[in-house]
Amino acid sequence: MIRSVVISTLLLIACAFAQSAWLGGVAVLGVTPDIGLIVLIWLSYMNGLVAGPVSGFLSGLAEDFLSASPLGFHAFIKTAVSAAAALLHGSFYIDKLLLPVILGFAGTMAKAIAAGALFLLFGSKVHAYSPLDRILWIEAAYNAVLSPLVFLLLGPLGRFLVAERRRA
Amino acid sequence: MSDQPPRADVRGRRAVAPILLAASLLCLTVSTRSLEGVPESLGLTVLGFFQRGFSAVGEFASDTVASIGELRRLRANFEELSAELERYTNMERGLADLRKENQRLKEQLGFSQDAAYQRIAARIVAKDPENLYSTITIDKGFGDGIRKNMPVIAFQDGIEGLVGRVVEVGRGTSKIVPIYDSKSFVASRFSGGSRTEGLVGGQGSPDYPLLMRFVKKRAKDEVQFGDLVATTGYESLYPPDIAVGRVKKVRVLDYQTSIDIELDPALDFSRIEYVFVVKPEAGAGEGDR
Repeated sequence: MIRSVVISTLLLIACAFAQSAWLGGVAVLGVTPDIGLIVLIWLSYMNGLVAGPVSGFLSGLAEDFLSASPLGFHAFIKTAVSAAAALLHGSFYIDKLLLPVILGFAGTMAKAIAAGALFLLFGSKVHAYSPLDRILWIEAAYNAVLSPLVFLLLGPLGRFLVAERRRA
Repeated sequence: MSDQPPRADVRGRRAVAPILLAASLLCLTVSTRSLEGVPESLGLTVLGFFQRGFSAVGEFASDTVASIGELRRLRANFEELSAELERYTNMERGLADLRKENQRLKEQLGFSQDAAYQRIAARIVAKDPENLYSTITIDKGFGDGIRKNMPVIAFQDGIEGLVGRVVEVGRGTSKIVPIYDSKSFVASRFSGGSRTEGLVGGQGSPDYPLLMRFVKKRAKDEVQFGDLVATTGYESLYPPDIAVGRVKKVRVLDYQTSIDIELDPALDFSRIEYVFVVKPEAGAGEGDR
């Protein structure tokens, strides 16, 4: 369990670095995909209620250091999204296309809702998505499109990243 | 024996996420009331090191691919430049005389040789990992003399434009909030005839126009498409007369006492690679680390 949490957290932090340093070049209308979020959804779905949220919390905290957000902002969002994904742990069979697309889209929406909840609590000290703004919808679509590919790439890494293999 | 885990174990597992959410909220509560940015600065110092590493790896990969075509171009450029160098060597002699004459004239007119402010050149190494925030990370930190709240400018197509201000400083990296961030405000005025003032704010993305608010209504007849707006420098973090944007659209609403003006940023943020952090003039108070 500890090994998979450590590896998962490092992978998520690497995703945050990659997003900040490299993904500007693949931005669509100035919006970059959240690869870390897709990876986190997969990890939480596969690992359940402990490993996923712990990795989400730690990587979110690291992201807070890289971002202008107040400390705890991304930690809260990533923990909330991973907890939501972990609640679905083992409920569905993950196919190659449809479920990853749905999870990628729904995960982005969950992220927006979590940011909105923080905005209600902390007001203008934090940023939130506006449902009327194109950024949210472009990011959700981008994440949905990339999810099948990211899930596919994560499959072979399962033995390092998944704490308890689901029973057949 | 049952396959189900014990009830206490299940309860323990379910408690993990709420505990972590509570810890996140605690962090947020502390950091939004601001512990003077100490934890953020410490985190930026540690993680900024790795972020620079990632940036360097990406740059190395793209440079390696680009260098093949670059070699061919460089050879042609070399021959062209050798010829030009010869021409400039001759010009240099004439320039030295002109420089001396210029110096003499400046002394007679009482102009100061010193620039109004010092600049620290820095390279952009990363941007905010999330779309919600719009931070820019540069490869210089407090070890290089950078302090919180220092203004940041850039040169592009012959224009000195405002990029934003430093909000967090680590040992070797710093974070800048650009003027297009929705929490950024710059006291500005028109550079041309009217000199009307207003407050320029961003809308969260470099693709959206900047918004100049609180401009007196009587200015609506004087403002024209393409007019340049620059910093005022009054009681401000920013030095005066740094270009902010150009008028794109004027919004006049009858029920408002002021007009809103949309501006195109003076700089194309997608093309900026290098910036200059402006050190305050000697005597002016420096920001905190």
